[in-house]
Amino acid sequence: MKKRKLVALLAAAAMFVTMGTGCMTTKATDSAGSGDGDGKTEITFYTYNLSIASQKEAAQKLIDDFNAQSDTVHVTGVAADVMTMQTKIQSDYAAGQTFDVVQCALNQVGYYVDNYKLPAFEDVAGQAAFDEHMEGFAENAKTLGQYRDGKTYVLPYTFSTPMLYYNADLFRDAGLDPDAPIETWDDVKECGLALKAAGHEGVQITATGDGYDWLIQAMIYSNGGDVMNEDHTEVTFTDPNTVGAISMWQDLVKSGAHTNYTDTEAQEAFLAGNQGMLVTTAALESGLISAAESGGWELKAAPFPSFEGKESVPTNSGSGLCIMSSDPEKQAAAWEFIKYVTSAEGYTTITSMMGYLPLRPDIVNDERYLKSWAEEHPFVHTNLAQLERLHRWEGFPGMNGGQIGTLLNQTVTKCIFTDCDVASEMQTAQSQAQDLMP
Amino acid sequence: MSEIALSALPDLSGVAVRQQSAAKRILKRLTPFLFVAPALILVLFWVYRPLVQTFGLSIQMWNMNPNVEPVNVGLQNFQYIFTHPDFFQAVWNTFLYILLMLPFSVILPMAIAIATNRLSSRAKNIYRAIFFLPMIMPPVACSAVWRWLMHPINGLFNHLLTSMGVVEEGVRFLSDENWVLLSIVLIAGWKMIGFSTLMFSAGLTGIDPSYYEAASVDGHKKWRQTLTITLPLLSPTIMLMLMMSVLMTAQWTFAYIDVLTQGGPAGASTNVYYLLWTYGFKNFNSGLSSAAAVVFFIGFGILALIFTRINRKVAFYDN
Repeated sequence: MKKRKLVALLAAAAMFVTMGTGCMTTKATDSAGSGDGDGKTEITFYTYNLSIASQKEAAQKLIDDFNAQSDTVHVTGVAADVMTMQTKIQSDYAAGQTFDVVQCALNQVGYYVDNYKLPAFEDVAGQAAFDEHMEGFAENAKTLGQYRDGKTYVLPYTFSTPMLYYNADLFRDAGLDPDAPIETWDDVKECGLALKAAGHEGVQITATGDGYDWLIQAMIYSNGGDVMNEDHTEVTFTDPNTVGAISMWQDLVKSGAHTNYTDTEAQEAFLAGNQGMLVTTAALESGLISAAESGGWELKAAPFPSFEGKESVPTNSGSGLCIMSSDPEKQAAAWEFIKYVTSAEGYTTITSMMGYLPLRPDIVNDERYLKSWAEEHPFVHTNLAQLERLHRWEGFPGMNGGQIGTLLNQTVTKCIFTDCDVASEMQTAQSQAQDLMP
Repeated sequence: MSEIALSALPDLSGVAVRQQSAAKRILKRLTPFLFVAPALILVLFWVYRPLVQTFGLSIQMWNMNPNVEPVNVGLQNFQYIFTHPDFFQAVWNTFLYILLMLPFSVILPMAIAIATNRLSSRAKNIYRAIFFLPMIMPPVACSAVWRWLMHPINGLFNHLLTSMGVVEEGVRFLSDENWVLLSIVLIAGWKMIGFSTLMFSAGLTGIDPSYYEAASVDGHKKWRQTLTITLPLLSPTIMLMLMMSVLMTAQWTFAYIDVLTQGGPAGASTNVYYLLWTYGFKNFNSGLSSAAAVVFFIGFGILALIFTRINRKVAFYDN
């Protein structure tokens, strides 16, 4: 009896093993098949666009299109979860098994260069080839991936600026003219109150829910404030203009023009056609457009609103690409791939299918690329115009940089959604943050 | 080993026998340890080693980057957490979570288990399956559905509340600082009822039915039987669930906090584990995270100790 059991167990184990090897062989043939098996350099691409439902298709298309046209390189995309990406990159790096091309948030350029051994694009490609590729790239975007030494370690890839989206049907219902320009926060407040009076919801600036501070920084810069002094040794949360920006925001909420929902809730309400205005990243645009189409309401967009008498200063959300492989052959292959996805063809896919900015602005006037698309999607011009006034999304320095960003986010959340005294809250945050600076 | 020694040295049989018996004795003593060794090694490696490491990390400043040397900072991390309000807010919230969770993890499940205990076995199973169902649903999917139900404008709850005239404006279940903690407890509690009911049912099955028969013969009413037989004999289960609830509520609520509120608004729904996680895996500050972990480890350890003491006094075991 016991023996029989043992035999059965062994048989099962043997089956399991064969099954396993069976799977592995098929897998190997599969990848050889798609890689053509003729000595192409295999590289991996770690990207979070592959894990976002509305962007997955476009991200995969970029990879497939590249593989189809390249004779020397084959790229495999690996989906990254935005929240756990950093942890995984760090542990992979420790284990000496990094992905070859990695998507990294643009406020982390300093951190990446300080902590990982990244090659500069100028060195991988050669200065001349790099300069040639960067021709036609938006001037303000070029510098975002540069480190202190003036070299580019992260090539800006998918990013966007904040925009004000609004529901024209709700505007009409509230007796507002949806074609009248909305320029300042005063305009936004007025519209928000009118919407509220008509039984709809006003505006929500979705700047705090993701736990980051890029859009918070845009609010602060737009009022002439700052989060750090010039040489990045002191935080400046108590700067009168910084405090002023947050106070204005708090007033929007207090007046009722700004809803006090979680950002996800506000976004859902906007998609459902119940929320009048939403200030958010243009990366969500494709989702907003399809929601408006299926919901049967008219979506309109305005530039990121400004403070009275000042020009608004948008920041960049989003990411760039860096090369993490230390193998020269793979580095060269990675450059080929990055060159492709940041080319005119690449940005045609990125902009038309994901909604991020075409960082080669000229292609919106080019028949071969985005001209016809841009005619149907005039928002892209608004978004591109903002690129001219772009301020870098700053990352706080040192080992506690992330902690400071979270602290700023939490303090601002508290300020805008409660009746607290903004100046004193920011004062507290200032002293806490300063302790965390290196 | 000892056998080989024996055959190699046939002449010295007396010594060998003595040796053999010594070896055997040692082997005999070792045997139980050999049996538990695999489990023991795993526990040491996966539980106690990280525990010791946590203590080590708590006095260092490190961003978990393998290329960066951790800096020794002494008790600075502890000083930081004890001088900043988010720690105390998290502790207070955790206390509230524990308190509000008790009806869902002890009182209701116990009532359900007792109420369904005397039903026919099929009816009992159906009832218990209904209560158990939430337990096996993935937390993230549940969270999405609850978020829709609780949405301030589009949600079903607010639709019902406003149409019945209970409230004029939708309740912001997940963004109003006065509501958010309660909302999370409701969701986590809904999820835990099934598990607790199962535990109490198991406890009830262990009660000898002859007690009830004897009580019936003596003419005791049902409620009196519950009070004098069921509750005392269920006391070990009650104590167990009480302890589990107190020690684990912070973990049970974690997933919902993460998906629905990220601890907000302004920290109103955060708890100790979420704070730990934010320090460690959002801000990449392993020092603060470990320091807080050490404090909570000691805190929860003391609680567990108190519970086992009470348990010895209160719980009644029917041998």
